[in-house]
Amino acid sequence: METSIETRDLTRRFGDFVAVDRLTLRVERGEVFGFLGANGAGKTTAIRMLCGLLQPSSGSGKVAGCDIQTETDRIRSRIGYMPQKFALYPDFSVEMNLQLYGGLYGLQGDVLRTRMETVGKLLSLEPLLSRRTDSIPWGWQQRLNLACAILHQPEIVFLDEPTASVDPVSRRQFWDIIAELAASGTTIFVTSHYMDEVEYCGRVAILVQGGLAALDSPAGLKKTYGHTSLGDVFLDVVERAQTRGTAA
Amino acid sequence: MNASLRRIAVAARKEFLHIIRDPQSLFIVIMLPVVMMFLYGYALNADIHNAELVIEQPVPSPAARVLESRLDGSPFFAVTQILPPSSDPTQVFRARHTRALLRLPPDLDAGLRRPGAASMQVVVDGSDPNVGAQMRAAVEGATQKILLDHLNMKPPKILDQRTVVLYNPQQRSALFFVPGLMAIILLMISALLTSIAITKEKETGTLSQLLITPLRPREIIAGKLLPYVALASLDGILILTVGYLVFGVRVAGSVTFLALCSLAYIFTALSIGLLISTLAKRQLHAMMMTQLATMLPTVMLSGFIFPVSSMPMVLRGISHIVPATYYLQIVRGIILKGVGLHELWIPLLVLCAQGILLFMISVFKFRVKL
Amino acid sequence: MTTSALNVRNLAKDYAGEKALKGVSFEVPRGALFGVIGADGAGKSSLLTILATLLDADSGEADVLGLNLKNDFKTLRQRIAFMPQRFSLYPDLSVAENLHFFADLYDFETAEKEKRMADLLRFSALEPFQKRRAGLLSGGMKQKLALCCCLLHSPSLIFLDEPTVGVDPVARRDFWKLLKSLKSQGITLVVSTPYMDEAKLCDTLLLLHQGYVLSQGSPEEMLAQYPYALHRIHGSKPLHFSARQTPPQGVALVYPAGGELRAATAKDVPDNDLWKQFPGAESSGHVPPDIEDLLFALLSRESTNAGQTA
Repeated sequence: METSIETRDLTRRFGDFVAVDRLTLRVERGEVFGFLGANGAGKTTAIRMLCGLLQPSSGSGKVAGCDIQTETDRIRSRIGYMPQKFALYPDFSVEMNLQLYGGLYGLQGDVLRTRMETVGKLLSLEPLLSRRTDSIPWGWQQRLNLACAILHQPEIVFLDEPTASVDPVSRRQFWDIIAELAASGTTIFVTSHYMDEVEYCGRVAILVQGGLAALDSPAGLKKTYGHTSLGDVFLDVVERAQTRGTAA
Repeated sequence: MNASLRRIAVAARKEFLHIIRDPQSLFIVIMLPVVMMFLYGYALNADIHNAELVIEQPVPSPAARVLESRLDGSPFFAVTQILPPSSDPTQVFRARHTRALLRLPPDLDAGLRRPGAASMQVVVDGSDPNVGAQMRAAVEGATQKILLDHLNMKPPKILDQRTVVLYNPQQRSALFFVPGLMAIILLMISALLTSIAITKEKETGTLSQLLITPLRPREIIAGKLLPYVALASLDGILILTVGYLVFGVRVAGSVTFLALCSLAYIFTALSIGLLISTLAKRQLHAMMMTQLATMLPTVMLSGFIFPVSSMPMVLRGISHIVPATYYLQIVRGIILKGVGLHELWIPLLVLCAQGILLFMISVFKFRVKL
Repeated sequence: MTTSALNVRNLAKDYAGEKALKGVSFEVPRGALFGVIGADGAGKSSLLTILATLLDADSGEADVLGLNLKNDFKTLRQRIAFMPQRFSLYPDLSVAENLHFFADLYDFETAEKEKRMADLLRFSALEPFQKRRAGLLSGGMKQKLALCCCLLHSPSLIFLDEPTVGVDPVARRDFWKLLKSLKSQGITLVVSTPYMDEAKLCDTLLLLHQGYVLSQGSPEEMLAQYPYALHRIHGSKPLHFSARQTPPQGVALVYPAGGELRAATAKDVPDNDLWKQFPGAESSGHVPPDIEDLLFALLSRESTNAGQTA
């Protein structure tokens, strides 16, 4: 199997504070990888390093075959990133936002048109193309956000809490799309606070205070920790790690 | 203490904390008047001082030499070049940084001996009309005077004409811009900062929290305004201090009366800011609306730069509703003329009436719901 | 004097040209932990903002704590609290300064004020962070601070609009512990949430959809309205079923749930090896629906084509 993301002892310090502590990970191509942690556990810092937006303090990593310290420009053209905050222009039409993002990745003419058609079909955005972005429901805005992130056919998509404050019905539809993307060979690296949807991930990493506290498939995690839901597993993992932390 | 007053004090103290927690903005608010004073005082100074002058001189002659050396020696001009005759004046202005060209006739000395026979030409760069007109008057006046001195003559007297310049005898522009800056800066601090401060609470949603506390709308408003009254007063004091120390501008009249009138003006300006904040939904809108509704009319229409009397009817009409028009009359009156309430009660009354009216409208419009 | 904390009759509101609320009626008993659930844009925020006296309804009536919402809103504001969706404290002020500010707006004796603040800081476990600027707190701590500011004047009723959105599971659990302990003190809580696991923690639920009430009652009562029989389809590998695929004969709804599938059939359909109709599946069996299953069943018809009709 092809490796999409690989890190070894990836560390980032801000002064005395260790935001990400010796993170070692391997994510295969086409995998849906859940990246969990409490607020401030270091998820965003780690993602920013993987996207080449932040230099690690030590350790190394490769994303889509590129070194995260030296080949950041190449990484950026091979990945898609959907930030936690809505990053589109609310006063543009859906189509204009797609064209703009396509253009930013150097797509134009027929290629851009074909990609927009494909992505529009995958995300069922076609009927909305002419609508002003801020006039469509929030769940659909998030879809558009995803559409813009995958327009250039990235090898890996990073999704930072894509479904925050999206209603359950839209969330399920959203995960449906993610599953289809993964089936077509795109690696999905996703963070979420909804433990039920994390169950759709192939494997799940739980970050506590910057360090990797657990990493397994949802079923494996539930078995190891003896819980029936991932929510309970998460709380258990965080508590154990914190007790260890305070004891140490 | 009265409960309402106490709540106002609480709200004002919170506002002070906001101001102190944003040292960058505070620095700008304090430095801005100082920077603007130095800009107006030095860079935007329209006074003629060491202005470049080129003389076209066909034949060197004693009179021409005297002219040249005395013009160059005066504080107003610097003679940068002596040109041979019949050069193209446009060339001089295009190629040289000069403001005026003095063209002397070939027979200057001969001409001077017969009254009325000598002629010369002054060519002035009129691209800045103010500077052009000043340059023209200065060159003409200075040349006449130098030549008369040179010939040991007195100007012929048809009538004894004397001009007395009152209040600003040296015609220094500092005396002119200090009042103008008072009007602009006080307005800016009061109107702009309050409108932004209130719109910010709307934008971040904190206003809804305030509304369901016992804080009454008028208390919210008063608490918001007080710190900015203080800040605006501080800037007013700063302008007067810098004006006195650096530009030698003394307040001829009563400082206490000036302070009272300034408070009335600040109140009016705050009410404008308040009114804008009831209309604007976002800080950016508040900022642009304040710029459009207050800064522009104040700079352009209050009589600070352009005299109101020479404006077209429509603009003159608008200038009559710009509070700064009245405040300028008051400040110039107090600082330059040293007059008091007896002479200034009309503009002061108008200013106060405007303030009370605007304040009442905005309190009325300040909604207790979202 | 009514015994209910909230009595809402036919409340309606147009917002930005659209009908945000289309005649909503419900009642909340005193001391209840009342949940308002529904999709984004269902009208949850509008409803809470109106009931918190901050927005006028276009029509309809409401009594809040026995007071008329329209006429007595000033008195009402002293007895209720509202925690808006967005963090709405001052990020440039410290935790203690924010608390002080809101405390000072009420007429407390100094000793009383200090005691209340100390109690709240202990209650919310924010004591060690008193000096920290509110803007630098984590999402969960911000929400705790906002709750503390709401509690300063001991309101009998608190409205909380999606208080735990963007808050991590650990902090969410802590926050709900706080809400439970407030309930035990007799305070009525009206909470809107998009998290269905939180909905289960409420005594009574109101399910809003596009501005009207789709369902209401206790979680148990609501679940009794579940219109289907629900089956879990299990396989040794995670199962996937796309929304684009047509469900097998006799199955109304299929959707993934934690690596398994959920299939909803008519109530009288026995399980009868339902799994055989799903590739990769190895077993199936009845499962009781939860609130999310109910929500999904009730909403799926209407929002399958939401994009087209929206």
